[in-house]
Amino acid sequence: MSLPRWGIAGLLVVAGIAFWLLLAGPSKLLGIDTGQAGTALLVTVAWVSMYAVSRLPRGELGALASPAEWKAWIGTGFMAAAIAYFVAHIKVFMAMRGFGDPDAGAVARNLVLLLVAWAILSRVVASRWKGEVQEDERDREIAARAAGWGHYALVSIVVGYALLLGFSPARELQWASHWMIANLLLLALMCSCLSGYAATAIQYWRDRH
Amino acid sequence: MAGTALDNDIRNLRLAHGGMTQEALAQACGVTRQTIIALEAGRYSPSLELAFRIARAFGVGVEDVFKWKERA
Repeated sequence: MSLPRWGIAGLLVVAGIAFWLLLAGPSKLLGIDTGQAGTALLVTVAWVSMYAVSRLPRGELGALASPAEWKAWIGTGFMAAAIAYFVAHIKVFMAMRGFGDPDAGAVARNLVLLLVAWAILSRVVASRWKGEVQEDERDREIAARAAGWGHYALVSIVVGYALLLGFSPARELQWASHWMIANLLLLALMCSCLSGYAATAIQYWRDRH
Repeated sequence: MAGTALDNDIRNLRLAHGGMTQEALAQACGVTRQTIIALEAGRYSPSLELAFRIARAFGVGVEDVFKWKERA
């Protein structure tokens, strides 16, 4: 099954609404947590897209991309969405005063929901190639080069934090509570993962052009 | 990605073997179809092991499949 044009347009509109709910919308709309609603819509869009792709004949699917490339593109999309959501709600973490903070808890729950949805979706996509080669020496070479990019990104961000915290006057670091620094370190890890996935996906894309 | 230092006859050998598909060759060698596509397009140099696997799939020697590009 390939999606008709109106179907693709509809999916793009729903994806746009999902991102608006996740990144820019109010925290609650008609009593519903917009973060959870945005995540649910985003996962629905991903599911429908993946279903359409999974209905393609096996040969066509293999000609489009290898399993490792699908995994890299899905990882790039979900990690970019998670980072954008995290950054859009960074003020919640600045105001955080403990583990019981309800606003920070809601953001963290939505992030975990997004990451769990990503893990399930990756499993479903991988099952499409069950019993076939999922990864070979070329995929491993690309993954090794991409891991280098993830490593450089992590080092750069951590050095950036160190310089920021080390050279800023104390009065300008009121925002840097230990909660905030803990969350910034998590953000650095997420950025490192995104660099790895994006570098993998871009290498596959460049390899075809 | 830049081309590799190797030329190969994989496509011609596939056609000579009853039009063997890229998918069939990929399965015979334990790689993905995308790797066969990249090899045929000269965008990927295989490991020695994969080169032997491909040659074996066609029942020929490695040098009948891969050739070093002579540069002027």
